Amino acid sequence: MVVWGTWLTLKHLKPPSERVALEPVSILKPLKGLDYGLETNLESFFRLQYPKFELLFSVATEDDPAIALVQKLMTKHPRVQARLLVGEVLIGGNPKVNNLVRSYQSAKHDWILISDSNIRVARDYLQAVVAEFTPDTGVITALVSGETLGTGVGAALETTYLNTFYARWTLIASTFGAPVVIGKSMLLRKSEASRFGGIELLARYLAEDYMAGHAMKLLGKKVKIMSEPVVQMIGNYSLKEFWMRHVRWGRIRKSQAPLTFPLEPLLSLWISGFFMAHSLTVIAGFAFAKVLCSYVAFWFACDVVLMLKFRQKPNFRNAAAWLARETLQLPLWIHVAQANTVNWRGHKLRLKRGGLLET
Amino acid sequence: MKRTFLADLHVHSTFSDGQMTIPEIVDFYGKRGFGAVAVTDHICEEKGVLGRAASYLNLCLTPATFPIYREILRTEAERAWQTYGLVLIAGFELSKNSLFNHRSAHVLGLGIKEFMTADGDVRDLARKIREQGGLAIAAHPVATGKFEPQTYHLWSRREELRECFDAWEVASGAKFSHEVQESGLPLLATGDLHRPSQIESWKTVFSCERTQASIFEAVRNQDITFTFYKEHTADSQLRAWLRAPGAFDLDSRDFYGGLGNVAHAQTS
Repeated sequence: MVVWGTWLTLKHLKPPSERVALEPVSILKPLKGLDYGLETNLESFFRLQYPKFELLFSVATEDDPAIALVQKLMTKHPRVQARLLVGEVLIGGNPKVNNLVRSYQSAKHDWILISDSNIRVARDYLQAVVAEFTPDTGVITALVSGETLGTGVGAALETTYLNTFYARWTLIASTFGAPVVIGKSMLLRKSEASRFGGIELLARYLAEDYMAGHAMKLLGKKVKIMSEPVVQMIGNYSLKEFWMRHVRWGRIRKSQAPLTFPLEPLLSLWISGFFMAHSLTVIAGFAFAKVLCSYVAFWFACDVVLMLKFRQKPNFRNAAAWLARETLQLPLWIHVAQANTVNWRGHKLRLKRGGLLET
Repeated sequence: MKRTFLADLHVHSTFSDGQMTIPEIVDFYGKRGFGAVAVTDHICEEKGVLGRAASYLNLCLTPATFPIYREILRTEAERAWQTYGLVLIAGFELSKNSLFNHRSAHVLGLGIKEFMTADGDVRDLARKIREQGGLAIAAHPVATGKFEPQTYHLWSRREELRECFDAWEVASGAKFSHEVQESGLPLLATGDLHRPSQIESWKTVFSCERTQASIFEAVRNQDITFTFYKEHTADSQLRAWLRAPGAFDLDSRDFYGGLGNVAHAQTS
């Protein structure tokens, strides 16, 4: 699986071969607070090379510090169509969707790109996304690669996680038909989304991105992962922040896929390595320690290939982060299994089966 | 205006164990000139092991998927009517599955609005469906002829449950039950379609307005007949002729659907 996942990722990351008609796009940027590197992240969207697009920034409250920054950027780039919408609409338990609703409803164009605040894109990003949209497409999402800007153990762990384990398993799950959609970058058509109730209906789920893909699949539309990754800029990030973020993700997976969640430990380096080493010791008489070390080295080699592909240097620091993250996987899984609540940007939310949020 | 048309009031989509998406079902039946179709995906018992397993495997509707299901049915109902003059009815099939045939029962709810669990006695389930303004139908109460566990629970209690259901399936898929036909219970024939190849099955013929209310009224009054639908029958030439532009001054879509279906009834 590790080799296959690595091969899938390398095969997937190739530039699109052709450019097509470029439809006007409304880009929705939900914001909350000043993330590390936010100004540069947002400015990369003002610099997009695309015939016609608008930027819609939304914040939930009037005292959000991101407001001043957005106003500054709008003044700096007067030729780019941009609007700032202040105030959330409480239509469900998902705070991100509540923040997005007004901008979604006031978007001028049918093509909607939802992009998180910590994403920094290249100038041709929008062209690249739209170029991969075909008539049978429901949603186009992107792999997320990590780039460390700040400091902290969590930042190194997160970057390594995104560039190895996450990329591999996202593509493997997608190959098996799972409608994997990552909210960091999702392009869809409003007219298609309205067939399942639009973004408003998704406010009742925590993983609104996954459910958008699931709903599109139920409409007979495809979920695609674009061939170019988007880059998540990772700022100062503590171990605790890393831990809590992955507890949230884990609990979403647990509620969405209760049958596969118990099998997740088998995907970890140490558990699968233990089984491999034990099997070869019993069956062929190999030395347990030698098999385990070889297994870890081979797994690391595959992950180094992915790190290099995502422009992450496989230096000592990253190797240590890789080993630490792989080792943390089992205790993290145990923590995830113990409850169904998540903390997300100051909101404490309780998950029910299927990703529904308890109201 | 009264018209004669075919209806299949028991069809499964990819929301449970069907092979077609709801838009595909609309096109599938719409292109064949049907007047009404009900999408009735499974809702399984939460308390039973089999039901919970089906829920975990996404083989049935859950409280999480139901809002999307209802919304897709709503938007597709508009498209079905505008494109084909097809009435799309929202439904579900409350499925009480057990390893024992006499404990298993499936109850169709047609014209439903809210999610319901399949837990509890079938009498209560039928009552709750009716409280939503829907039709409660006893699904395949006798042998279906399929290689699967049978659902005999309702048939075992048929005298007691007689008044609880608006109709009992006299035919399910390709299997017609003379036992149910002769029981004196109100009847309905459905295709219980899971995949396109199952289109050749029993259907109900209505002669009423193409509205959900009129269809429900016809079922309650038993103002219906049944036919075995076959593809590529002798009336295919008639269908082609009726499709030709200018063949009739009437609305060719409605006329084609109605007359084509009568031809089916006569040939069956």
